[in-house]
Amino acid sequence: MTISETAEKTKGAASIAGSYAQRAGVFDELLGRGGVPREHWKTLLSELDALGGAELSHRSESANRIILEQGITYNVYGDPRGRERPWQLDPIPFVLDGAEWAKLGKALTQRAVLINRVLADCYGPQDLLRSGWLPPALLFAQPEFLRPAHGIRPPGGIHLHFYAADVARSPDGQWWVLNDRTQIPTGSGYALANRLVSSRVLPEAFRNCGVQRVAGYFRQVQSTLASLCSRRTDEPRVVMLTPGPYNETYFEQAYLARYLGYSLVEGQDLTVRDERVYLKTLSGLEPVDVILRRLDDDFCDPLELRSDSTLGIPGLVEAVRAGNVAVANALGTGLLESPAFMPFLPGLSRHVLGEELLMPSVATWWCGQKPAEAYVREHSGELELRPAFRRHRGFAGAAWDAKDLERQIRFAPHLWTAQERVALSTSPCWDGAHLSPHPTALRVYLVATPDGGYTVMPGGLARLGAESSAQFVTMQGGGASKDTWVLSDGPVEETTLIHPAGGVVELRRVGNNLPSRLADNYFWLGRYAERADATGRLLRSALLRFNPESAGSEAPLIAPLLETLSAQGQFPDGCGGTADELEAALLAAVYDPSNPGSLRGLADKAEQLAMLVRDRTSNDVWRALSGFNECVSASPDGTEPLATDAIAGINRLLLQVASFYGLSRENMTRAQGWRFLDMGMRIERALYLATFLSHALRAEMADNPSVLEAVLEVADSTITYRSRYSLLPNLAAVYDLVLLDDTNPRSLLFQLLQLEKHFARLPREKQSALPTEAQRLLVGSVASVRLLDPRELSERNAGWHAGQTGVVLRDILQNLPRLSDAIAASYFAHSSISRA
Amino acid sequence: MKLSVFHRTTYEYASPVKESFNEARLRPVSNEHQTCESFDLKVVPAARISQYADFHANVLHYFELPEPHRTLVVESSSVVTTRPILIDINATPASMELRPQCQRMERCFDFLQECTYIEKSPEAWRLALDITADVSDMWQAGIAIMRYVHANFAYVPNSTSVHTHMRDVLRERMGVCQDLAHVMIGLCRAIGIPALYVSGYLYNGPRDQLLGSQASHAWCEVFLPGTGWRGLDPTNNQITDERYIKLAVGSDYADVPPVRGHYKGTTERTMTVEVIVEAC
Repeated sequence: MTISETAEKTKGAASIAGSYAQRAGVFDELLGRGGVPREHWKTLLSELDALGGAELSHRSESANRIILEQGITYNVYGDPRGRERPWQLDPIPFVLDGAEWAKLGKALTQRAVLINRVLADCYGPQDLLRSGWLPPALLFAQPEFLRPAHGIRPPGGIHLHFYAADVARSPDGQWWVLNDRTQIPTGSGYALANRLVSSRVLPEAFRNCGVQRVAGYFRQVQSTLASLCSRRTDEPRVVMLTPGPYNETYFEQAYLARYLGYSLVEGQDLTVRDERVYLKTLSGLEPVDVILRRLDDDFCDPLELRSDSTLGIPGLVEAVRAGNVAVANALGTGLLESPAFMPFLPGLSRHVLGEELLMPSVATWWCGQKPAEAYVREHSGELELRPAFRRHRGFAGAAWDAKDLERQIRFAPHLWTAQERVALSTSPCWDGAHLSPHPTALRVYLVATPDGGYTVMPGGLARLGAESSAQFVTMQGGGASKDTWVLSDGPVEETTLIHPAGGVVELRRVGNNLPSRLADNYFWLGRYAERADATGRLLRSALLRFNPESAGSEAPLIAPLLETLSAQGQFPDGCGGTADELEAALLAAVYDPSNPGSLRGLADKAEQLAMLVRDRTSNDVWRALSGFNECVSASPDGTEPLATDAIAGINRLLLQVASFYGLSRENMTRAQGWRFLDMGMRIERALYLATFLSHALRAEMADNPSVLEAVLEVADSTITYRSRYSLLPNLAAVYDLVLLDDTNPRSLLFQLLQLEKHFARLPREKQSALPTEAQRLLVGSVASVRLLDPRELSERNAGWHAGQTGVVLRDILQNLPRLSDAIAASYFAHSSISRA
Repeated sequence: MKLSVFHRTTYEYASPVKESFNEARLRPVSNEHQTCESFDLKVVPAARISQYADFHANVLHYFELPEPHRTLVVESSSVVTTRPILIDINATPASMELRPQCQRMERCFDFLQECTYIEKSPEAWRLALDITADVSDMWQAGIAIMRYVHANFAYVPNSTSVHTHMRDVLRERMGVCQDLAHVMIGLCRAIGIPALYVSGYLYNGPRDQLLGSQASHAWCEVFLPGTGWRGLDPTNNQITDERYIKLAVGSDYADVPPVRGHYKGTTERTMTVEVIVEAC
């Protein structure tokens, strides 16, 4: 659509903000006095008018599509819709003008500097305590005050590397701080994702409004973290420490890690040697200089902090104390997240900085002080009661009535704060047909600079809520968000992380070493994808051959298929009962989500593994993988699937697996990750093929052309066979093709040869003079397969499995699981012996 | 009094363990009541040992054993001269009126709170009030509580574990020195007397008479405004004197275990402790 056409269409139509109904008693971001749009919204409004309502709805849908495609999600605990929920983004950005933003940024910078100074004192000399500026209870009663971190001076005296503030505007237009986020300020990754989406769905408006870019903030993040390195090196190793994929912001962690170029690691990927932190990689231990922490600090070290933590790294605190590794934010920064500090900040600002606090906090009373306690008791109806400290044991929240609360406050007043209820300002949101006002709060992000100042991200995460209270701005609430556009006064600076300015890059053909855990996950991802493929083929062949009317006579023909599935524990044993029972069992083997061996179960497992390597997987590969379980999910309306539905579903699944293989083969570099993926897939394919062939040989009618056709079908070699032999399937010819033909990518020998190739390139395999156990197993298997002569099969009339071919297949079936274990032992288990 | 201490802890694991990270609080403190003349810490398998002071100013040693091992021996030898500043058992140095002022002192705060093994339950508060009903001095209150704990709680070796909570001891009315100290601390804190946990040793002469000797011992200290921290041993019903060697202090046992570690491997293990305290 050209611009003139668009203009044509909207001519005469009412302005998009025409029906916008300002709420009484609150500040409205869009409309000023008399219902006139504020100056800084005018460009956006005219752009939106030019688009028109229909087009805007269309754009809003495409925003949702981008979110789904990019897999932008937020995990909400206990969410009935499953573990992940797509991120919700309103297409209309939250607009602020440059001058106002500058004031906001200045105030928050001051606050960050102040908080950092207070932290430095609490974890250092504690002068503020001694001189009475802070009551001891505020510090010592807090579970967030980590005693082992006391006395540790972080590099440059910076405790608070990352700071975020939830700010909101009261009815008079004044900005207030609702929450300080000092432990792990989450959401900057979502802000980045929002920016990506909003700039793509409203490109014209984004260009014409002169929106300040956020990339500069992330560049500062990189250089700040790099500056924390204590070693002399050009390439400090920064890792992002995650609690794991079940954390509510795992998407964000993976997204940021990829954007910033850091390895995303879990506690078990790191270890401490001689008070230095190392990353366990395939080729040994590699030193880590800086840990960007997304794990709560008390979980970081089971030795000195919470001993029940399984997510941390024993010895980390000592490594930090020795100055060999920097952690950002420093351990113990969660202290200042307590709302109980808020009433003290104005005084601290005057005392510590000699300045007035530029932006007030929402009015807060800490009951640890007698007058405040009395005030809170009197006004408890009007105030929002909050536990003073985040990890407050036994707080039942809303379940408590006024009497319970009263008793709690009387018993331990210092554990409670009360805050004024805030009427948030409203901003326009697109509800599908109109703009309507919604209460909005903004989270602003700051990163420390090495000189002791802070850089503010020009933008942030605007969040929408239904109610107006300080507590609503939590991610767990799962509400919608907005991008924040800060308009620039001058020309917009273009920055991107892809081309860092200056400096010569050392060219590389291999990435940073792969953490062992990721190699493990890739390996199993390959195995599960192939298991889904092989199971799908077996089930499809069985379903195609299954005919309820002639169940009895056909049974021997599908027996090897079913035996293979039950040998792998995916099918109930001896299901030779009635036709109905068999059909039900076959359908259950496809759809039953409660059976881990069913196709559905395998698809789920593959998806979970894909999650674990999410930060290393391209979006295309992720899409192919996440489509697995849709193909084999029973229809949502509850109708019983038929055999034909199952066959169609399996066909779709096989295509998805094929596209996953294709994408990984064509798009992944031949680095360690790909190698382990392919090894897992080869081992699994060999395992299924060998199991199936040995069952087929054991069948009464192993030379029956129907059985042989099933063999060709499962091994996907029917066409090849027909192009070579113009006769009915012959025993020797079929087994030659699926066992020995090294040009057939589905043959057993092909899988083994691929494994040999991979082995030759694995780190550490070549160092020893003698072959490793895995190499021995592989060399033996390859030799025995190569030496097979399948013509011996044709010479028999029965008992084919007792021949040479059967013996070799049995050996291989024993060797493959041992091979898999040997790989796991040398690469994934990571014995503690340091090779670095 | 000059005393020598030998303290050996041996861990035997059923199968080799690895990635063992450990901290030890075994060096006697030096302060106005005692001086640590010499100290030697030995770890087998050998490891580099580093040292720092923790939040309560205890000396802490840290060592790592990444390689697989089946046995771990931590052995310390120290020589300490004790010269406690004694306080008369009948003295009344600090009126109970002074308790609220302790609440506001930053060095007392931790020692008035609940912690891992100690809670300020209503029962403890009631009991402590009853024990100290006719006492007007903090020192005398401490002594009354010590006497009560000694008289009403049985010292029964192996009746509890190192992780036994004070509320269970209050119910069962028995325990070892650690449990009796926890109970006494809980009772003191319940009525606003700052009390801390001390881990250490007790010299009982050539003959083995007093409880808790030839093993690690534990007792408590109460804070008296204007005087400072003074030790009371509920296990032996006495004021701590020159025979007591202080290793470390904390809110409760969780702050001061002599050896604490984290390793990968079997949970099947045995621990043996030998302690010898002699006059020299």
